[in-house]
Amino acid sequence: MISLFLDTCNSNLIVSLIQDNKIIYKRIEETDKNLSVRLLPIIEECFKECNKSINDIDRVYIANGPGSFTGVRIGVTVAKVIAYSLNKKIIPISELQILASIPNEKNYIVPIIDARRGFVYSSIYDNNLNVVYEDNYISLQELLDYINTNYNIDDFIFVSYDNIDIENIKKPDIDLLKIISKHENDEGVNCHKVNPNYLKKTEAEEKRSDNRN
Amino acid sequence: MKDVYILAIESSCDETSVAVIKNGCKVISNVVLSQMDTHAFYGGVVPEIASRMHIENITVVIDEALTKSGLKMEDIDAIAVTYGPGLLGSLLIGLQAAKTLSYIYNKPLVPVHHIAGHIYANNLEAPLVFPLIALVVSGGHTELVYMKEDYNFEVIGSTLDDAVGEAYDKVARVINLEYPGGPKVDQLAHKGMDTYNLPLPLDDDTYNFSFSGLKSAVINLKHNEEQRGNDLNIENLATSFQNRVVEILTKKTMKALKEYNVKNLIIAGGVSANKGIRDKFNELCIKNNINLTIPKLEYCTDNAAMIGAAGYYAYKIGKRADLDLNAKAVDKLN
Repeated sequence: MISLFLDTCNSNLIVSLIQDNKIIYKRIEETDKNLSVRLLPIIEECFKECNKSINDIDRVYIANGPGSFTGVRIGVTVAKVIAYSLNKKIIPISELQILASIPNEKNYIVPIIDARRGFVYSSIYDNNLNVVYEDNYISLQELLDYINTNYNIDDFIFVSYDNIDIENIKKPDIDLLKIISKHENDEGVNCHKVNPNYLKKTEAEEKRSDNRN
Repeated sequence: MKDVYILAIESSCDETSVAVIKNGCKVISNVVLSQMDTHAFYGGVVPEIASRMHIENITVVIDEALTKSGLKMEDIDAIAVTYGPGLLGSLLIGLQAAKTLSYIYNKPLVPVHHIAGHIYANNLEAPLVFPLIALVVSGGHTELVYMKEDYNFEVIGSTLDDAVGEAYDKVARVINLEYPGGPKVDQLAHKGMDTYNLPLPLDDDTYNFSFSGLKSAVINLKHNEEQRGNDLNIENLATSFQNRVVEILTKKTMKALKEYNVKNLIIAGGVSANKGIRDKFNELCIKNNINLTIPKLEYCTDNAAMIGAAGYYAYKIGKRADLDLNAKAVDKLN
Protein backbone atom coordinates (compact mmCIF):
# COMPACT_ATOMS: atom_id res chain seq x y z
CA MET A 1 0.00 0.00 0.00
CA ILE A 2 1.39 3.38 -1.03
CA SER A 3 -0.02 6.62 0.35
CA LEU A 4 0.67 10.21 -0.62
CA PHE A 5 0.37 12.68 2.24
CA LEU A 6 -0.04 16.42 1.61
CA ASP A 7 -0.26 19.24 4.12
CA THR A 8 -0.34 22.83 2.82
CA CYS A 9 -2.35 24.41 5.63
CA ASN A 10 0.48 26.52 7.01
CA SER A 11 3.85 27.83 5.90
CA ASN A 12 5.48 24.42 6.55
CA LEU A 13 4.55 22.43 3.47
CA ILE A 14 4.70 18.64 3.92
CA VAL A 15 4.85 16.15 1.06
CA SER A 16 5.37 12.54 2.07
CA LEU A 17 5.14 9.09 0.56
CA ILE A 18 4.41 6.17 2.87
CA GLN A 19 4.76 2.55 1.81
CA ASP A 20 3.52 -0.19 4.13
CA ASN A 21 3.91 1.88 7.27
CA LYS A 22 7.34 3.15 6.32
CA ILE A 23 8.06 6.71 5.31
CA ILE A 24 9.95 6.48 2.04
CA TYR A 25 9.87 10.22 1.32
CA LYS A 26 9.30 13.21 3.54
CA ARG A 27 9.86 16.79 2.63
CA ILE A 28 9.07 19.68 4.94
CA GLU A 29 9.68 23.04 3.40
CA GLU A 30 9.01 26.54 4.59
CA THR A 31 7.16 27.94 1.61
CA ASP A 32 5.76 31.19 2.90
CA LYS A 33 4.53 32.99 -0.21
CA ASN A 34 5.53 30.49 -2.90
CA LEU A 35 3.47 27.43 -1.97
CA SER A 36 1.63 27.69 -5.29
CA VAL A 37 4.98 27.53 -7.10
CA ARG A 38 6.59 24.79 -5.02
CA LEU A 39 3.91 22.14 -4.42
CA LEU A 40 3.85 20.39 -7.81
CA PRO A 41 7.65 20.45 -8.32
CA ILE A 42 8.10 18.85 -4.87
CA ILE A 43 5.50 16.17 -5.68
CA GLU A 44 7.34 15.48 -8.94
CA GLU A 45 10.64 15.23 -7.09
CA CYS A 46 9.06 12.93 -4.50
CA PHE A 47 8.13 10.31 -7.06
CA LYS A 48 11.37 10.70 -8.99
CA GLU A 49 13.48 10.17 -5.86
CA CYS A 50 11.46 7.15 -4.82
CA ASN A 51 11.65 5.79 -8.33
CA LYS A 52 7.89 5.52 -8.46
CA SER A 53 5.05 6.88 -10.52
CA ILE A 54 2.09 8.80 -9.15
CA ASN A 55 0.00 6.04 -10.71
CA ASP A 56 1.42 3.67 -8.08
CA ILE A 57 -0.37 5.31 -5.16
CA ASP A 58 -3.38 3.72 -3.49
CA ARG A 59 -4.67 6.72 -1.60
CA VAL A 60 -4.15 10.40 -0.84
CA TYR A 61 -4.20 11.85 2.66
CA ILE A 62 -4.91 15.55 2.61
CA ALA A 63 -4.82 18.05 5.45
CA ASN A 64 -8.00 20.00 4.68
CA GLY A 65 -7.74 22.77 7.25
CA PRO A 66 -8.14 24.82 9.24
CA GLY A 67 -5.30 27.15 8.36
CA SER A 68 -4.38 29.65 5.68
CA PHE A 69 -7.45 29.73 3.39
CA THR A 70 -5.35 29.98 0.24
CA GLY A 71 -2.82 27.41 1.49
CA VAL A 72 -5.50 24.86 2.31
CA ARG A 73 -7.11 25.37 -1.09
CA ILE A 74 -3.86 24.81 -2.98
CA GLY A 75 -3.31 21.41 -1.35
CA VAL A 76 -6.94 20.33 -1.48
CA THR A 77 -7.22 21.23 -5.18
CA VAL A 78 -4.16 19.15 -6.03
CA ALA A 79 -5.36 16.24 -3.87
CA LYS A 80 -8.85 16.32 -5.40
CA VAL A 81 -7.50 16.33 -8.95
CA ILE A 82 -5.10 13.46 -8.17
CA ALA A 83 -7.86 11.38 -6.58
CA TYR A 84 -10.25 12.21 -9.43
CA SER A 85 -7.76 11.49 -12.22
CA LEU A 86 -6.38 8.25 -10.80
CA ASN A 87 -9.66 7.17 -9.22
CA LYS A 88 -8.01 6.73 -5.82
CA LYS A 89 -9.27 7.05 -2.29
CA ILE A 90 -8.93 10.49 -0.73
CA ILE A 91 -8.89 10.86 3.02
CA PRO A 92 -9.16 14.35 4.54
CA ILE A 93 -7.49 14.90 7.91
CA SER A 94 -7.87 17.83 10.28
CA GLU A 95 -4.79 20.02 10.37
CA LEU A 96 -5.32 20.37 14.12
CA GLN A 97 -5.16 16.61 14.57
CA ILE A 98 -1.94 16.56 12.55
CA LEU A 99 -0.42 19.20 14.84
CA ALA A 100 -1.60 17.15 17.84
CA SER A 101 0.53 14.16 16.82
CA ILE A 102 3.50 15.46 18.82
CA PRO A 103 5.22 12.81 21.01
CA ASN A 104 4.62 13.74 24.68
CA GLU A 105 3.87 12.50 28.18
CA LYS A 106 0.76 14.55 28.89
CA ASN A 107 -2.82 13.33 28.70
CA TYR A 108 -4.16 16.03 26.43
CA ILE A 109 -2.84 17.97 23.48
CA VAL A 110 -4.15 21.36 22.40
CA PRO A 111 -3.12 22.29 18.85
CA ILE A 112 -3.52 26.01 18.11
CA ILE A 113 -3.54 27.98 14.87
CA ASP A 114 -3.65 31.76 15.13
CA ALA A 115 -6.82 33.15 13.53
CA ARG A 116 -6.03 36.79 14.47
CA ARG A 117 -7.90 39.34 16.57
CA GLY A 118 -7.62 37.19 19.69
CA PHE A 119 -9.16 34.16 18.00
CA VAL A 120 -7.66 30.77 17.26
CA TYR A 121 -8.52 27.51 15.55
CA SER A 122 -8.12 24.92 18.23
CA SER A 123 -9.35 21.66 19.77
CA ILE A 124 -8.35 19.10 22.38
CA TYR A 125 -7.04 15.64 21.51
CA ASP A 126 -5.99 12.80 23.79
CA ASN A 127 -2.74 10.92 23.29
CA ASN A 128 -4.34 8.52 20.83
CA LEU A 129 -5.50 11.42 18.69
CA ASN A 130 -9.11 10.98 19.72
CA VAL A 131 -11.16 14.15 19.76
CA VAL A 132 -11.93 15.40 23.26
CA TYR A 133 -13.12 18.86 22.25
CA GLU A 134 -13.78 19.26 18.59
CA ASP A 135 -12.09 21.61 16.13
CA ASN A 136 -13.39 25.09 16.68
CA TYR A 137 -12.95 28.78 15.92
CA ILE A 138 -12.79 30.28 19.41
CA SER A 139 -11.25 33.16 21.32
CA LEU A 140 -8.00 32.14 23.00
CA GLN A 141 -9.31 33.37 26.34
CA GLU A 142 -12.47 31.31 26.05
CA LEU A 143 -10.43 28.22 25.21
CA LEU A 144 -8.15 28.69 28.23
CA ASP A 145 -11.12 29.35 30.51
CA TYR A 146 -12.78 26.17 29.28
CA ILE A 147 -9.69 24.11 30.03
CA ASN A 148 -9.12 25.68 33.44
CA THR A 149 -12.74 25.16 34.45
CA ASN A 150 -13.00 21.55 33.37
CA TYR A 151 -9.50 20.11 33.64
CA ASN A 152 -6.17 20.33 35.40
CA ILE A 153 -4.03 22.41 33.05
CA ASP A 154 -0.92 20.41 34.08
CA ASP A 155 -2.33 17.50 32.05
CA PHE A 156 -2.10 19.59 28.88
CA ILE A 157 0.50 20.34 26.26
CA PHE A 158 -0.04 23.22 23.83
CA VAL A 159 1.30 23.08 20.27
CA SER A 160 1.53 25.79 17.62
CA TYR A 161 3.69 27.12 14.81
CA ASP A 162 2.43 30.59 15.61
CA ASN A 163 3.39 33.02 18.35
CA ILE A 164 0.66 32.34 20.86
CA ASP A 165 0.82 33.91 24.31
CA ILE A 166 0.88 30.68 26.33
CA GLU A 167 3.73 29.49 28.58
CA ASN A 168 5.68 26.40 27.49
CA ILE A 169 3.91 26.18 24.14
CA LYS A 170 5.72 23.68 21.89
CA LYS A 171 6.52 23.82 18.20
CA PRO A 172 4.81 20.98 16.31
CA ASP A 173 6.74 17.74 15.79
CA ILE A 174 4.48 15.80 13.47
CA ASP A 175 4.37 12.01 13.76
CA LEU A 176 3.16 11.06 10.30
CA LEU A 177 2.93 7.33 10.94
CA LYS A 178 0.79 7.90 14.00
CA ILE A 179 -1.57 10.10 11.98
CA ILE A 180 -1.79 7.66 9.13
CA SER A 181 -2.36 4.61 11.30
CA LYS A 182 -5.16 6.57 12.97
CA HIS A 183 -6.82 6.94 9.57
CA GLU A 184 -5.83 3.73 7.79
CA ASN A 185 -9.30 2.27 8.13
CA ASP A 186 -11.10 5.43 7.02
CA GLU A 187 -13.56 4.87 4.20
CA GLY A 188 -12.38 7.83 2.18
CA VAL A 189 -14.58 10.47 0.61
CA ASN A 190 -15.85 11.00 -2.94
CA CYS A 191 -13.22 13.29 -4.48
CA HIS A 192 -15.84 15.81 -5.62
CA LYS A 193 -17.04 16.18 -2.03
CA VAL A 194 -13.66 16.86 -0.42
CA ASN A 195 -13.43 20.51 0.53
CA PRO A 196 -11.49 22.70 2.89
CA ASN A 197 -12.76 22.86 6.43
CA TYR A 198 -12.22 26.57 7.08
CA LEU A 199 -14.03 26.61 10.44
CA LYS A 200 -14.87 30.21 9.66
CA LYS A 201 -17.28 31.93 7.33
CA THR A 202 -16.06 34.65 4.99
CA GLU A 203 -16.27 38.19 6.32
CA ALA A 204 -18.93 39.02 3.72
CA GLU A 205 -21.10 36.13 4.93
CA GLU A 206 -20.60 37.12 8.58
CA LYS A 207 -21.56 40.72 7.90
CA ARG A 208 -24.61 39.64 5.98
CA SER A 209 -25.88 37.39 8.79
CA ASP A 210 -25.08 40.15 11.33
CA ASN A 211 -27.25 42.53 9.36
CA ARG A 212 -30.10 40.07 9.32
CA ASN A 213 -30.05 39.53 13.10
CA MET B 1 -2.50 17.22 -40.35
CA LYS B 2 -3.27 15.63 -37.02
CA ASP B 3 -6.05 17.26 -35.01
CA VAL B 4 -4.99 19.03 -31.83
CA TYR B 5 -7.19 18.82 -28.75
CA ILE B 6 -6.68 21.32 -25.94
CA LEU B 7 -8.23 20.95 -22.51
CA ALA B 8 -8.63 24.46 -21.12
CA ILE B 9 -9.32 25.71 -17.61
CA GLU B 10 -10.52 29.20 -16.65
CA SER B 11 -11.17 30.39 -13.09
CA SER B 12 -9.96 33.99 -13.04
CA CYS B 13 -13.11 35.54 -11.55
CA ASP B 14 -16.50 34.05 -10.72
CA GLU B 15 -16.89 31.40 -13.43
CA THR B 16 -15.46 27.91 -13.05
CA SER B 17 -15.06 26.68 -16.60
CA VAL B 18 -13.42 23.79 -18.44
CA ALA B 19 -13.52 23.17 -22.18
CA VAL B 20 -12.15 20.87 -24.85
CA ILE B 21 -11.28 22.65 -28.09
CA LYS B 22 -10.24 21.13 -31.40
CA ASN B 23 -7.68 22.95 -33.56
CA GLY B 24 -8.30 26.26 -31.83
CA CYS B 25 -11.67 26.80 -33.48
CA LYS B 26 -14.12 24.02 -32.74
CA VAL B 27 -15.81 23.71 -29.35
CA ILE B 28 -16.07 20.04 -28.42
CA SER B 29 -17.32 20.83 -24.93
CA ASN B 30 -17.52 23.97 -22.82
CA VAL B 31 -18.84 23.78 -19.28
CA VAL B 32 -19.32 27.08 -17.46
CA LEU B 33 -20.43 27.19 -13.85
CA SER B 34 -21.31 30.78 -13.00
CA GLN B 35 -21.39 31.99 -9.42
CA MET B 36 -23.18 35.20 -10.38
CA ASP B 37 -26.37 34.47 -8.41
CA THR B 38 -24.36 34.03 -5.21
CA HIS B 39 -22.33 37.21 -5.63
CA ALA B 40 -25.48 39.15 -6.49
CA PHE B 41 -26.44 38.88 -2.81
CA TYR B 42 -23.38 40.94 -1.96
CA GLY B 43 -23.66 43.51 -4.73
CA GLY B 44 -20.49 42.32 -6.44
CA VAL B 45 -17.93 39.54 -6.61
CA VAL B 46 -16.58 38.62 -3.16
CA PRO B 47 -13.09 37.17 -3.80
CA GLU B 48 -12.99 34.75 -0.84
CA ILE B 49 -16.43 33.35 -1.70
CA ALA B 50 -15.38 33.00 -5.34
CA SER B 51 -12.30 30.98 -4.33
CA ARG B 52 -14.38 28.75 -2.08
CA MET B 53 -16.87 28.02 -4.83
CA HIS B 54 -14.14 27.29 -7.38
CA ILE B 55 -12.60 24.57 -5.24
CA GLU B 56 -15.99 23.00 -4.52
CA ASN B 57 -16.69 22.67 -8.22
CA ILE B 58 -13.40 22.25 -10.02
CA THR B 59 -13.30 18.44 -10.35
CA VAL B 60 -17.02 18.27 -11.16
CA VAL B 61 -16.56 20.76 -14.00
CA ILE B 62 -13.46 18.96 -15.34
CA ASP B 63 -15.38 15.69 -15.27
CA GLU B 64 -18.40 17.13 -17.05
CA ALA B 65 -16.29 18.77 -19.77
CA LEU B 66 -14.41 15.54 -20.42
CA THR B 67 -17.55 13.41 -20.38
CA LYS B 68 -19.35 15.76 -22.79
CA SER B 69 -16.34 15.79 -25.11
CA GLY B 70 -16.38 12.01 -25.38
CA LEU B 71 -12.58 12.11 -25.03
CA LYS B 72 -10.20 10.78 -22.42
CA MET B 73 -7.29 12.68 -20.92
CA GLU B 74 -5.02 10.43 -23.00
CA ASP B 75 -6.53 11.96 -26.18
CA ILE B 76 -5.71 15.51 -25.09
CA ASP B 77 -2.59 17.13 -26.60
CA ALA B 78 -2.06 19.95 -24.11
CA ILE B 79 -3.59 21.67 -21.11
CA ALA B 80 -4.18 25.41 -21.34
CA VAL B 81 -4.88 27.49 -18.28
CA THR B 82 -5.58 31.11 -17.43
CA TYR B 83 -2.65 32.12 -15.20
CA GLY B 84 -3.72 35.79 -15.01
CA PRO B 85 -4.77 38.50 -14.71
CA GLY B 86 -7.66 38.08 -12.28
CA LEU B 87 -8.46 37.34 -8.65
CA LEU B 88 -5.45 35.54 -7.22
CA GLY B 89 -7.35 33.11 -5.00
CA SER B 90 -9.63 32.19 -7.90
CA LEU B 91 -6.84 31.83 -10.46
CA LEU B 92 -4.93 29.50 -8.12
CA ILE B 93 -7.65 26.82 -8.20
CA GLY B 94 -7.66 26.45 -11.98
CA LEU B 95 -3.89 26.77 -12.09
CA GLN B 96 -3.22 24.01 -9.53
CA ALA B 97 -5.76 21.75 -11.22
CA ALA B 98 -4.10 22.32 -14.62
CA LYS B 99 -0.62 21.71 -13.24
CA THR B 100 -1.75 18.50 -11.53
CA LEU B 101 -3.36 17.18 -14.75
CA SER B 102 -0.27 18.16 -16.73
CA TYR B 103 1.93 16.23 -14.31
CA ILE B 104 -0.24 13.12 -14.01
CA TYR B 105 -0.83 12.73 -17.74
CA ASN B 106 2.51 14.13 -18.84
CA LYS B 107 0.89 16.73 -21.12
CA PRO B 108 2.38 20.11 -22.04
CA LEU B 109 1.13 22.98 -19.88
CA VAL B 110 0.27 26.12 -21.86
CA PRO B 111 -0.12 29.41 -19.95
CA VAL B 112 -2.80 31.71 -21.40
CA HIS B 113 -3.37 35.39 -20.63
CA HIS B 114 -7.05 36.03 -19.90
CA ILE B 115 -7.27 38.87 -22.45
CA ALA B 116 -5.75 36.69 -25.16
CA GLY B 117 -8.63 34.34 -24.42
CA HIS B 118 -11.24 37.07 -24.86
CA ILE B 119 -9.73 38.03 -28.21
CA TYR B 120 -9.59 34.42 -29.44
CA ALA B 121 -13.26 33.90 -28.53
CA ASN B 122 -13.73 35.39 -32.00
CA ASN B 123 -11.76 32.52 -33.52
CA LEU B 124 -14.59 30.21 -32.48
CA GLU B 125 -16.79 32.09 -35.00
CA ALA B 126 -14.40 32.48 -37.93
CA PRO B 127 -10.60 32.54 -38.26
CA LEU B 128 -9.10 35.87 -37.22
CA VAL B 129 -7.97 38.03 -40.14
CA PHE B 130 -4.81 40.08 -39.67
CA PRO B 131 -3.78 42.74 -39.02
CA LEU B 132 -6.53 43.56 -36.58
CA ILE B 133 -7.46 45.82 -33.73
CA ALA B 134 -9.18 44.22 -30.74
CA LEU B 135 -11.24 46.21 -28.25
CA VAL B 136 -11.58 44.18 -25.07
CA VAL B 137 -14.30 45.46 -22.75
CA SER B 138 -15.38 43.64 -19.60
CA GLY B 139 -15.96 44.04 -15.89
CA GLY B 140 -12.24 43.89 -15.25
CA HIS B 141 -10.63 45.08 -18.49
CA THR B 142 -10.67 47.78 -21.11
CA GLU B 143 -7.88 47.39 -23.67
CA LEU B 144 -7.10 48.25 -27.26
CA VAL B 145 -4.81 45.64 -28.78
CA TYR B 146 -3.07 45.60 -32.17
CA MET B 147 -2.28 42.20 -33.68
CA LYS B 148 -0.24 41.79 -36.85
CA GLU B 149 -0.38 37.97 -36.75
CA ASP B 150 -1.55 35.07 -34.60
CA TYR B 151 -0.57 35.32 -30.96
CA ASN B 152 1.28 38.58 -31.41
CA PHE B 153 -0.21 41.22 -29.12
CA GLU B 154 0.62 44.89 -28.81
CA VAL B 155 -1.46 46.67 -26.19
CA ILE B 156 -1.82 50.22 -27.53
CA GLY B 157 -4.17 51.51 -24.86
CA SER B 158 -5.88 50.49 -21.66
CA THR B 159 -7.92 51.97 -18.85
CA LEU B 160 -6.10 54.07 -16.28
CA ASP B 161 -8.67 53.31 -13.57
CA ASP B 162 -12.06 51.57 -13.76
CA ALA B 163 -12.88 49.07 -16.49
CA VAL B 164 -15.94 49.85 -18.64
CA GLY B 165 -18.03 47.09 -17.06
CA GLU B 166 -17.03 48.25 -13.61
CA ALA B 167 -18.16 51.81 -14.42
CA TYR B 168 -21.49 50.43 -15.68
CA ASP B 169 -22.02 48.41 -12.50
CA LYS B 170 -21.12 51.36 -10.28
CA VAL B 171 -23.45 53.72 -12.12
CA ALA B 172 -26.15 51.06 -11.83
CA ARG B 173 -25.64 51.05 -8.07
CA VAL B 174 -25.95 54.86 -7.95
CA ILE B 175 -29.38 54.61 -9.56
CA ASN B 176 -30.35 51.64 -7.36
CA LEU B 177 -30.27 48.86 -9.94
CA GLU B 178 -29.41 45.40 -8.63
CA TYR B 179 -26.04 43.78 -9.36
CA PRO B 180 -25.07 43.06 -12.05
CA GLY B 181 -26.56 46.36 -13.13
CA GLY B 182 -24.53 46.99 -16.31
CA PRO B 183 -26.97 45.26 -18.67
CA LYS B 184 -29.86 47.08 -16.98
CA VAL B 185 -28.23 50.46 -17.64
CA ASP B 186 -27.94 49.43 -21.30
CA GLN B 187 -31.67 48.59 -21.41
CA LEU B 188 -32.65 51.90 -19.78
CA ALA B 189 -30.36 53.80 -22.13
CA HIS B 190 -32.52 52.73 -25.08
CA LYS B 191 -35.59 54.31 -23.51
CA GLY B 192 -34.18 57.71 -22.56
CA MET B 193 -32.76 60.85 -24.13
CA ASP B 194 -29.33 62.42 -23.82
CA THR B 195 -30.31 65.35 -21.60
CA TYR B 196 -27.60 65.38 -18.95
CA ASN B 197 -24.38 67.26 -19.40
CA LEU B 198 -21.79 64.58 -18.61
CA PRO B 199 -18.11 64.90 -19.65
CA LEU B 200 -16.48 62.87 -22.41
CA PRO B 201 -13.85 60.99 -20.36
CA LEU B 202 -10.13 61.24 -21.24
CA ASP B 203 -10.75 62.78 -24.64
CA ASP B 204 -7.05 63.03 -25.57
CA ASP B 205 -4.58 61.82 -28.21
CA THR B 206 -3.71 58.56 -26.46
CA TYR B 207 -5.51 55.23 -26.77
CA ASN B 208 -5.99 55.04 -23.01
CA PHE B 209 -9.33 55.21 -21.24
CA SER B 210 -10.54 56.51 -17.89
CA PHE B 211 -14.00 55.97 -16.53
CA SER B 212 -13.78 56.93 -12.87
CA GLY B 213 -14.31 60.65 -13.67
CA LEU B 214 -17.46 59.90 -15.63
CA LYS B 215 -18.70 57.71 -12.79
CA SER B 216 -18.02 60.54 -10.29
CA ALA B 217 -19.87 62.98 -12.54
CA VAL B 218 -22.91 60.70 -12.39
CA ILE B 219 -22.68 60.52 -8.58
CA ASN B 220 -22.34 64.33 -8.32
CA LEU B 221 -25.20 64.87 -10.73
CA LYS B 222 -27.49 62.65 -8.66
CA HIS B 223 -26.42 64.43 -5.49
CA ASN B 224 -26.97 67.92 -6.96
CA GLU B 225 -30.37 67.06 -8.37
CA GLU B 226 -31.45 65.70 -5.01
CA GLN B 227 -30.20 68.88 -3.27
CA ARG B 228 -32.26 71.00 -5.65
CA GLY B 229 -35.27 68.78 -5.06
CA ASN B 230 -35.36 67.71 -8.74
CA ASP B 231 -36.37 64.21 -9.79
CA LEU B 232 -33.60 62.34 -11.51
CA ASN B 233 -34.74 60.82 -14.79
CA ILE B 234 -32.80 57.56 -14.67
CA GLU B 235 -33.59 56.66 -18.26
CA ASN B 236 -32.14 59.94 -19.48
CA LEU B 237 -29.20 59.52 -17.13
CA ALA B 238 -28.53 56.02 -18.50
CA THR B 239 -28.71 57.35 -22.06
CA SER B 240 -26.39 60.27 -21.30
CA PHE B 241 -23.87 57.98 -19.54
CA GLN B 242 -23.96 55.31 -22.21
CA ASN B 243 -23.60 57.86 -25.01
CA ARG B 244 -20.36 59.19 -23.45
CA VAL B 245 -18.98 55.68 -23.01
CA VAL B 246 -19.88 54.68 -26.56
CA GLU B 247 -18.51 57.91 -27.98
CA ILE B 248 -15.09 57.61 -26.36
CA LEU B 249 -14.79 53.89 -27.14
CA THR B 250 -15.70 54.38 -30.79
CA LYS B 251 -13.64 57.55 -31.17
CA LYS B 252 -10.41 55.97 -29.95
CA THR B 253 -11.00 52.63 -31.63
CA MET B 254 -11.81 54.16 -35.03
CA LYS B 255 -8.74 56.37 -34.68
CA ALA B 256 -6.57 53.32 -34.00
CA LEU B 257 -7.97 51.52 -37.05
CA LYS B 258 -7.11 54.52 -39.19
CA GLU B 259 -3.63 55.16 -37.80
CA TYR B 260 -2.60 51.50 -37.88
CA ASN B 261 -4.20 51.16 -41.31
CA VAL B 262 -6.22 48.16 -40.20
CA LYS B 263 -9.49 46.95 -41.73
CA ASN B 264 -10.41 44.29 -39.16
CA LEU B 265 -11.96 45.04 -35.78
CA ILE B 266 -12.78 42.59 -33.06
CA ILE B 267 -14.80 43.40 -29.95
CA ALA B 268 -14.51 41.00 -27.05
CA GLY B 269 -15.26 40.67 -23.35
CA GLY B 270 -18.51 40.66 -21.39
CA VAL B 271 -19.42 44.26 -22.22
CA SER B 272 -19.43 43.45 -25.95
CA ALA B 273 -22.95 42.18 -25.23
CA ASN B 274 -23.95 45.84 -24.67
CA LYS B 275 -26.43 46.79 -27.38
CA GLY B 276 -25.53 50.47 -27.39
CA ILE B 277 -21.88 49.62 -28.04
CA ARG B 278 -22.69 46.96 -30.65
CA ASP B 279 -25.10 49.21 -32.59
CA LYS B 280 -22.73 52.15 -32.79
CA PHE B 281 -19.74 50.04 -33.85
CA ASN B 282 -21.88 48.26 -36.44
CA GLU B 283 -22.95 51.57 -37.94
CA LEU B 284 -19.43 53.05 -37.98
CA CYS B 285 -17.81 49.90 -39.37
CA ILE B 286 -20.27 49.72 -42.26
CA LYS B 287 -19.68 53.37 -42.99
CA ASN B 288 -15.88 53.03 -42.91
CA ASN B 289 -15.70 49.66 -44.64
CA ILE B 290 -14.31 47.87 -41.57
CA ASN B 291 -14.80 44.15 -41.07
CA LEU B 292 -16.32 43.84 -37.56
CA THR B 293 -16.51 40.61 -35.54
CA ILE B 294 -18.14 40.13 -32.13
CA PRO B 295 -18.28 36.70 -30.49
CA LYS B 296 -21.51 34.93 -29.65
CA LEU B 297 -22.87 36.01 -26.29
CA GLU B 298 -21.90 32.76 -24.54
CA TYR B 299 -18.27 33.34 -25.54
CA CYS B 300 -18.26 37.04 -24.57
CA THR B 301 -18.42 36.35 -20.85
CA ASP B 302 -15.68 34.35 -19.13
CA ASN B 303 -15.41 30.79 -20.39
CA ALA B 304 -12.76 28.14 -20.98
CA ALA B 305 -13.55 27.67 -24.68
CA MET B 306 -11.85 30.98 -25.47
CA ILE B 307 -8.84 29.94 -23.36
CA GLY B 308 -8.67 26.73 -25.38
CA ALA B 309 -8.81 28.70 -28.64
CA ALA B 310 -5.99 31.01 -27.55
CA GLY B 311 -4.19 28.05 -25.98
CA TYR B 312 -4.06 26.27 -29.34
CA TYR B 313 -2.15 29.14 -30.96
CA ALA B 314 0.09 29.50 -27.91
CA TYR B 315 0.76 25.75 -28.10
CA LYS B 316 1.57 25.97 -31.83
CA ILE B 317 4.21 28.66 -31.30
CA GLY B 318 5.76 26.61 -28.50
CA LYS B 319 4.57 28.46 -25.39
CA ARG B 320 5.04 26.15 -22.42
CA ALA B 321 5.10 26.46 -18.66
CA ASP B 322 6.72 24.22 -16.07
CA LEU B 323 5.11 22.91 -12.91
CA ASP B 324 6.36 25.99 -11.06
CA LEU B 325 3.95 28.25 -13.01
CA ASN B 326 2.34 30.77 -10.66
CA ALA B 327 -0.84 32.81 -10.91
CA LYS B 328 -0.56 36.55 -11.52
CA ALA B 329 -3.26 38.95 -10.38
CA VAL B 330 -1.82 41.63 -12.67
CA ASP B 331 0.02 40.93 -15.90
CA LYS B 332 0.50 42.77 -19.16
CA LEU B 333 -0.53 41.02 -22.35
CA ASN B 334 2.45 40.57 -24.67
